[in-house]
This record gives sequence, structure tokens and C-alpha cells, in this order.
Amino acid sequence: MATLGFNSFTITGALEKNPKLRLALFPCDKKGEKRVSRTSVKAMGAAKYKGTQMREKKLTEMIEKKVLEAKEVCEGDKTSDECKVAWDEVEEVSQAKADLRRTLQIEKKDPLESFCQENPETEECRIYED
Amino acid sequence: MEVSTVYTTQALNSTCSISTPAKTHLGSHQKQVVFYRRTTKSGSGGGSCVITCSAGDSQTVVIGLAADSGCGKSTFMRRLTSVFGGAAEPPKGGNPDSNTLISDMTTVICLDDYHSLDRTGRKEKGVTALDPRANDFDLMYEQVKALKSGVAVDKPIYNHVTGLLDPPELIKPPKILVIEGLHPMFDDRVRDLLDFSIYLDISNEVKFAWKIQRDMAERGHSLESIKASIEARKPDFDAYIDPQKQYADAVIEVLPTQLIPDDNEGKVLRVRLIMKEGVEHFSPVYLFDEGSTISWIPCGRKLTCSYPGIKFSYGPDTYFGNEVSILEMDGQFDRLDELIYVESHLSNISTKFYGEVTQQMLKHADFPGSNNGTGLFQTIVGLKIRDLYEQLTSSKTAAPLEATKA
Repeated sequence: MATLGFNSFTITGALEKNPKLRLALFPCDKKGEKRVSRTSVKAMGAAKYKGTQMREKKLTEMIEKKVLEAKEVCEGDKTSDECKVAWDEVEEVSQAKADLRRTLQIEKKDPLESFCQENPETEECRIYED
Repeated sequence: MEVSTVYTTQALNSTCSISTPAKTHLGSHQKQVVFYRRTTKSGSGGGSCVITCSAGDSQTVVIGLAADSGCGKSTFMRRLTSVFGGAAEPPKGGNPDSNTLISDMTTVICLDDYHSLDRTGRKEKGVTALDPRANDFDLMYEQVKALKSGVAVDKPIYNHVTGLLDPPELIKPPKILVIEGLHPMFDDRVRDLLDFSIYLDISNEVKFAWKIQRDMAERGHSLESIKASIEARKPDFDAYIDPQKQYADAVIEVLPTQLIPDDNEGKVLRVRLIMKEGVEHFSPVYLFDEGSTISWIPCGRKLTCSYPGIKFSYGPDTYFGNEVSILEMDGQFDRLDELIYVESHLSNISTKFYGEVTQQMLKHADFPGSNNGTGLFQTIVGLKIRDLYEQLTSSKTAAPLEATKA
């Protein structure tokens, strides 16, 4: 059973920084839902579908793998093209992971939501259960 | 004033009729000319094709936003689309790895979609994504030009998960098109299409701090790897991305604070909004007296701030040979009343009601930068863009449709 969540510095940081600012929020957010808990930090993401969980896992693995690759490639010549391309790949997947994390944890949406509404029978759209 | 004209054309072997739909998905201001063509030739099997194009007065406003990867473009995008109302969502039912965001008024295109080389291709050629050689500027120009003149395009999708170029998605011309990425101002033809351009200039120390925040939770990363990644990309960044800031109408420069001596946490930020003078439909924000030089610490008798407080400055300057005005904020907002107090002393912020900046900031209090100059200036730039959009659309007179030639 894979764990999805990990602490996001931006969430805890933001809440710690402005607890009073958050209390001044308008009571209804965009969808008309009332915010129930203002201080609890949801460390787990809102991944609903298997496809999203798979993407998260893949990106995590890719980050690890590409960091190791970059370290290897750059051992020879740090200024070589291969070295900078390797670290650029690390940056790309790190940002992709961070974007996914943000969608899940801050926007509380599963990126596959609309796709899965249209294609509920695909493997990707099986409901992921923790 | 609305102008509706109906034309009929006749051509050999076909019957055409033209009608203008009263309301399209793009909103009632958008005018469209729809051509229906039906071939009656038995050989081709009949059928009809629909060609949609837009009349001259439905020009899309194009905004360019440049920043390095991981430097706050997404946050900025969300603030910007929020100013126009509605949330920006990926296109429904399409490729789930699409980078595009669509709301009622705006469509945001990620320029990574114009990569000419996918991840494997770049590895083979030894070029980073920052390198112009990895990007198809001809296609970028053609498609932005098409969208600007009201024509839909089939735009490629660069999949950041697989690193491949996926089949294209249809992008319909929106009221406001935002192109965000590494190179919106790199190609001069694309640059000329922009009605307004913004560059997010993050200093090295702050970039490092943000990337630590972003990546430290990842199993694969460490301080060393984060540092190494920034350093390896720096030569290409300096050569290809950074020079774009001289072309931007507004630069948001983010630096470490000067209020805390020897601060190395990078939590308190000094943010400078560098606004070009003389840009059509854009009047720079100012403090107290336009064109003068001001230094302002709002904390005092009327407003109590906690450490390290807030410090503003404003004044004229030159930036890469251009006349600019610079509004700077150092420090943090700690309470709602500080934000409102500051807002009430700024001029030319293009709000529609008192407290609109504060309201927008509170609406996204969980976004990064909501308590400092990054959130404040991004919000203000969003309002300035709304103002620019309204000026541009009201200044357009309805252009008469040209008769089609059969």
C-alpha cells in the first residue's frame, strides 16, 4: 500500500505565516463549500483515480533516477552538454511533480477528473483506494 | 455598437449560405462568420464542411509571461485568471496531460508545447529546454498570430510526464490569450504580437530557497542536487532566458530582504515592480506623487506591524535603456488591516472598488507569496491587464466584413 502524502512546505508555511489572514477569509470559497477546518494540514493529496496515483509514483521514481544519472554524467565534466541536459531533465520532472502536488493538495482536484467522467471504464480511471 | 452583416456568395458547383450565430461559446461580444458549403457533386459523396473564422473586431488580447521553470508562473496565472473571474481548468475531456488552462475569458498556453525536440531528442542533441534550438518559433508565431486574429489552431501538446510530444489539441481563440513559458519574448515576431508582457525575475538566492521548498520533500533530492541543478542550467538561462527582461512591459524582480541583516532563510522578500513608461493602455502604479521619489514605511502610529515590518519605495529610473517607474515592497503583511492600509495609499491600481486588491489576495491566501510583494504585485498586474483589456476592446470599432470572393 503506497503512501501518497508527504508534507508540503508551502502549505504548512502559508498557514503558519498567516493564521490571522486565513481567519479573515470569506466564509464561502468559490464552490460555495464552507471551510470546515482552518488549521488542519491535509498532508494526503486528493488523488482519486489510479491513473493519478500511477503518475505520482512514476514522477517520484523518475526524480530519483534522473538525479542519480545526472550525478554520474557530471562526474567527468561539469560543464559538458550532457551534464546540463541531465540536470535540466531533473528540473523538468521535479517541476512536473510539484505541479501535480499542487493540483492535488492546494486545489484539491484530481487532474484526471474530467477525463474519467468521459472514460470511466479505463484502467486509469479505477478509483484508487488507500 | 454592433454591426451584423450577411453576405451570400455563389461559386461554381456549390451552394453557400452564411449566417451569424447570435451567441457563441466565446461570449456574445465575439462575432463569427460561418460558411456552410455543400458539394452536390455525386463523385465526392456530398456532405458539408464548416469553416469558422472571426470578423476583424474580435481580436484576442495576447499577454506574454516569462520565467524560469518553477518560478511562480503557475501562481501568477491563477491570480490573473481569478481577476477576470472564474477558475482556469484544463480542457475538459481531452488529453489529461494537457498544459493548457481555460476559463471564461482567458486561455493559458504553456510554451513548452512548442518544443521541437522531445526529451529524447534534446538528450541526443545535447540541448536543454532553455535552448532556442529545442523550440519551434515558427509554429509558435503562426499559431499565436492565428489565435490573435480569431482563428482556432491545433496546438501540439508536450507531455511533461512522458517527455513526448502528444497529438495536438484544438485551441479556440479566447478573449484573452496568455502565453507563458521560457521564451514568450525571445522571437521578435512573437514579441510584436504581445499586447502586454511580464517577466518574473527571481534572484539566485530566492530561486534556491524556492526550489528547496519545492524539492526537499522528494526522496531523490538533497541540497546538493538542488544546487547542482540550478548551477548546471544557469549558463543557458543567462544566455537565452534572462535577456528577455529588457523587452518586458513589467518586470517583477524578487530579491532577499534588506530588512533583516544577514538573512539567509529567504522567507521575507524584497519585491520590485519595474514598469515601463509609455506603454499604451498601461499607466504605472505609483505612491503619493507620480514621477517623484518616495520612501514610505507604513508602520507607525496608525498601523502597528510586527517584525520586520514593511517598507515601500517608489521612483523613476532607467532599465536597459528604457524609462521606468519602480515600486518596491520589502517585508511581509501580517494582518488584513496592513494590506488594506497599503492598498488605500497606492494610486493607479485599476481596481473597480475599494479593497479589491485585498479581496483578491485573501481569496488566494494559500497561494505562495500571499503575504508579501510577490502576491501583491502579481495581483496588481492582473488588475492592470484587466484595465488594458477593457481599454483595448472598447477602443475597437466594429470593422465591416469584407465581401468574400467566390
